[in-house]
Amino acid sequence: MIRAYHVTKRYGDVHALRDVTVKLGKGEFCYVTGPSGAGKTTLLKMLYGSVTPTEGKLLVGGVDISRLSRRRLPYLRRNIGIVFQDFKLIPSRTLSENVGLALEVLGTSRDVINRRVNAVLSIVGLRGRGHEYPMTLSGGEQQRVAVARAIVNDPSILLADEPTGNLDGAMAIEVMEILQAINLRGTTVMVATHDTGLMNRFPFRKLRFEAGRLVES
Amino acid sequence: MPKRLQHALRRAMRSLWENAYLNSVSTGVIAATVLLFGVYLSVQFNLNRMVDTWDRDIHISAYFHPDVPEQRRFDVRDDIAQRTEVEQVRYVSAEAANQWMQQRMPAMESILEELGTDTLPASLEISLTASAARPTSIDGFARTLSVTDFSDVDYGQEWIEKFEGFLSLLKLLGAIMGSLILVAALFLVMNTVHLVVYNRRNELEIQKLVGATDAYIVAPFLVEGLTQGLFGSLLALFGLAAVHQLLVERLKDTFELAINSELQFLPGTYIAALFIAGSILGVGAAFLAVYRFLSKVS
Repeated sequence: MIRAYHVTKRYGDVHALRDVTVKLGKGEFCYVTGPSGAGKTTLLKMLYGSVTPTEGKLLVGGVDISRLSRRRLPYLRRNIGIVFQDFKLIPSRTLSENVGLALEVLGTSRDVINRRVNAVLSIVGLRGRGHEYPMTLSGGEQQRVAVARAIVNDPSILLADEPTGNLDGAMAIEVMEILQAINLRGTTVMVATHDTGLMNRFPFRKLRFEAGRLVES
Repeated sequence: MPKRLQHALRRAMRSLWENAYLNSVSTGVIAATVLLFGVYLSVQFNLNRMVDTWDRDIHISAYFHPDVPEQRRFDVRDDIAQRTEVEQVRYVSAEAANQWMQQRMPAMESILEELGTDTLPASLEISLTASAARPTSIDGFARTLSVTDFSDVDYGQEWIEKFEGFLSLLKLLGAIMGSLILVAALFLVMNTVHLVVYNRRNELEIQKLVGATDAYIVAPFLVEGLTQGLFGSLLALFGLAAVHQLLVERLKDTFELAINSELQFLPGTYIAALFIAGSILGVGAAFLAVYRFLSKVS
């Protein structure tokens, strides 16, 4: 599902990633871990096309990101769900509207959007609360809405950048359980985190980075 | 209606409502610009009409040499009347011309009497057909009149040409001023739209992350721009009608003339041009503002 061949990313003289080669199969769950500035977020940004490699080749679902045009990028992203540490929800939109956004951009009909949104809100434990606004929810609930938005169009890859970074222990476990459930349905999940407690509680493959180098795979 | 267009319309209406203040500012700037453009068009339209009317009124006065016999004068008149570009020829004898002069200037009656009846020469008053009565063709026609028969030919050509030169200058100045105003307005509206975009930057970034195309993001802003452009043009049209009415009333009072029939409001094609200009301004500014934002977001 994801293949990186000697991928390097430089910002001027600073190396964010150095010569990274890694493969991730379909339906796999893995952590991207390491200290701050190790290159975790850069790798994730590359996978959803926000950053392009300086050198090397990066294939996501068979698509070469390094050669992808700006015009084709949205179509790649429709196959990737993304969850951020700060949730990135739109405060002026209801939960249903926030979650439905990923389907709305595809031109999906209102009926289908409503059906799908209700289904994913049930998966993340927020059934019947679609009319509420993000600011009325707890951090854990907001992150669950963000996860719902990431999976509403049934993507084959789910990328989560420090999804539990702003959550306390119990809420972090709730979110991880949801990500695990999504993975069990066949979605490839990649989670960037440096929370060792969480990684021990939910043991999966780890890609450990240090100063941009992949040191454990 | 296609679903994507429905989405764009719905999102545009929502944004117009949620950013009512900034959208009102954009609409106001468009209205002011279109109003200025409308005033310029109005002035030009009425001046052009005036020149057309004067062109139609132009006639040639050809003055006979005093030594041309009367029979020859009638023959020349009949020859000229045969020409296709001539609508009417009237012979004015020296007596009739002097009588007319005395009637027009009664205060100078004694001087005119002293000068005698041959102060003014006999002449032909020639009116040309509408197609021939243009300053360029009238000049050509005047040159064909025999210099052996006529001592002078007068048709107010110089004055008309000067006025047309002034009109050309006015058009040039209007085009330069109009372009400057248009660029300034485009810049103002673009920056106002940019504020709306900035207000919604998080939402737009999220849309990009979930796979929205640039067209999907730009479309509602274009609809907003079009709405602002059309509404701004409508406001400008009301403003223009008010200015026109005010001007007609003032000129009527000042000159006691039937100005109403002289000063005309812009015809349909010009009004359509105003709406098109407003729409281009709204849509263009929105496009440039969103495009500038999108080019910075990956």
